[in-house]
Amino acid sequence: MTRQKLQISSLVLVGIITFGLPVVLRSPTYLHILILLYLYAYLTTSWNLVGGFAGVLPLGHAAFVGIGAYTSTILYLQYGISPWLGMIVGGVLAAIVGIIIGLPTFKMRGAYFALATIAFGEGIRVMVENIDYLGPFNLNGPRGLQIPPLNVGLTNLMFTNKEPYYYIILVMLVAVLALTYSISRSKLGYYLNAGGEEPEAAMSLGVNVARCKLIAMAMSSFLTALAGTFYAQFTLFIHPKSVISLDLSFEIAFIALIGGRGSIAGPVLGALLLRPVGDFSRIYFGATLPGLHLIIFGTVLVLVMIFQPRGLQEPLTRVYHKLLDRLIPVPAGTE
Amino acid sequence: MIYIVEDLINGILMGSIYGLTALGLTIIFGVLKVINFAHGSLLMVGMYVAYWAVSLSGLHPYLTLLLVVPVMYLFGYYLQDIVIKPIFKAERDVREPITVIIVTTGVWYILDNLTLLIFGPQYRSIQDNPLRGKMLEIGEMMISVPKLWGFFAAIITAGSVYWFLQKTRTGRAIRATSLDRDAASLMGIKQYRVYNIAFGIGTATAGIAGVTLVPFYNVFPTVGVLFDIKGFIIVVLGGLGSIGGAILGGIIIGVIESVGPQFMTATWTEAIVYGLFLLVLFAKPSGLFGVKYEW
Repeated sequence: MTRQKLQISSLVLVGIITFGLPVVLRSPTYLHILILLYLYAYLTTSWNLVGGFAGVLPLGHAAFVGIGAYTSTILYLQYGISPWLGMIVGGVLAAIVGIIIGLPTFKMRGAYFALATIAFGEGIRVMVENIDYLGPFNLNGPRGLQIPPLNVGLTNLMFTNKEPYYYIILVMLVAVLALTYSISRSKLGYYLNAGGEEPEAAMSLGVNVARCKLIAMAMSSFLTALAGTFYAQFTLFIHPKSVISLDLSFEIAFIALIGGRGSIAGPVLGALLLRPVGDFSRIYFGATLPGLHLIIFGTVLVLVMIFQPRGLQEPLTRVYHKLLDRLIPVPAGTE
Repeated sequence: MIYIVEDLINGILMGSIYGLTALGLTIIFGVLKVINFAHGSLLMVGMYVAYWAVSLSGLHPYLTLLLVVPVMYLFGYYLQDIVIKPIFKAERDVREPITVIIVTTGVWYILDNLTLLIFGPQYRSIQDNPLRGKMLEIGEMMISVPKLWGFFAAIITAGSVYWFLQKTRTGRAIRATSLDRDAASLMGIKQYRVYNIAFGIGTATAGIAGVTLVPFYNVFPTVGVLFDIKGFIIVVLGGLGSIGGAILGGIIIGVIESVGPQFMTATWTEAIVYGLFLLVLFAKPSGLFGVKYEW
């Protein structure tokens, strides 16, 4: 067996397991946890396009989640438009907003960029909280919007059980991972990497760093907004503090940073490690030890930044390659 | 008309306290070139220390300064020494290390939730508070006494930090490091010790802000977040690294918050503050007063 075959077959195995899980796992609680895990892996992978590849630290991505969630929900509630279509509209809207925000902010240096994105996210939240009617659209201010579970079915992206949600978010996650993979192998990916690490050097070689970052930002905000629609349809209730919160923006960034930003496996790894810790400590210690999972998050974050600044994917990849070498030694002379 | 004057005065007083809460942020940025995301949490810790000191000893709230300032100075000193210094050593050649921002965010989460774990989510306020609801009447205007003291505390603290940086030997070492840390190191200044001291001073000012807030503000684990975001806005408005700018930036925010509701729904003032912040960031990132580095 060659190395490539082994890698492909292990991927296929992971695929079979993830797609087959709902057949074995009948508990709605565990499915719920898994759905949120995939959702966060998806959000973090989308964030990674800007936060990882472009080498800046955006801390306001919840605003795009909010744009996606609100756009599709309003279109559905007021005009009866299918959330699938609303999802695309929300994504396009988010991409436009992302470009508008990116134009001035990408000129800023590290800390200023982070602060600007925080202010942008919080500004959007405050505005949504204060606006009941934006023109003809009913935002309902701080009370949020509720979707009545009436016309259940695929066309309305609404289901009574969890399995369909599981498969939808899984497909979305696989798609975004494939997209990230192809971007990282494309010209854009290399340009972004170069611009993130050494902007002056990249520019002197004729790379239009600003343009690449804007493209990445547009894609990232588009993809993030799609997850917003999914979240709205999954919980059927959105309000500014849930979909546009600073905590959400930070959690996305945390997962990416702990997993390893700028890598493809990092965000998934981060979500895989952190989400269950959060969920289970909330289930078992939520009443007696409130905030325990956030203490764990913070501690892990500090330790990872001190000892593995490139995230946990780096040592794990090394272990993985060592394992591969052990299993299938590279024949002499081929390297 | 009299109401607007009253609001204006109260806005200036509260704003100067905002400035005091943000002072440490600007001091730490000036030297370490790092935005300390944990600053609000340090303020929260200062408030809790003051709260417990007053509650357990029954002292006058302002007397707890004698305890809070040294405790907070040491806390900041060793926080930087143990948690943040290793990152600086690893990223020696980076001028504005982004990793440090992330670490301070981690510290923020740890401190806030550790407090939640230990003291619970209750809102606490001092019992037998000699300053509660005390008002100074000038004509028809009512001015809060604890806020007035807070105003003086802000001015005195900012003034003494400024004096310390200008006139003392350590202050000169701090200024030298903030201007050029490599050159300062070559002159025999211990760079990381200066960082520790600057972080300690910044944390101590957060402690002073905590003491001035405790008599009229509730203490709870996430109280810092309210001041954290406000602090970022204030220091950027005033110019990052500028001490006078922090106080002036705070006063601007305070006045918008207190006079604004005369003209619009109170919650909209928050949106105005964010808008102003983004505008300044885009148009004039060095701050409204154009001071690049004051020291």
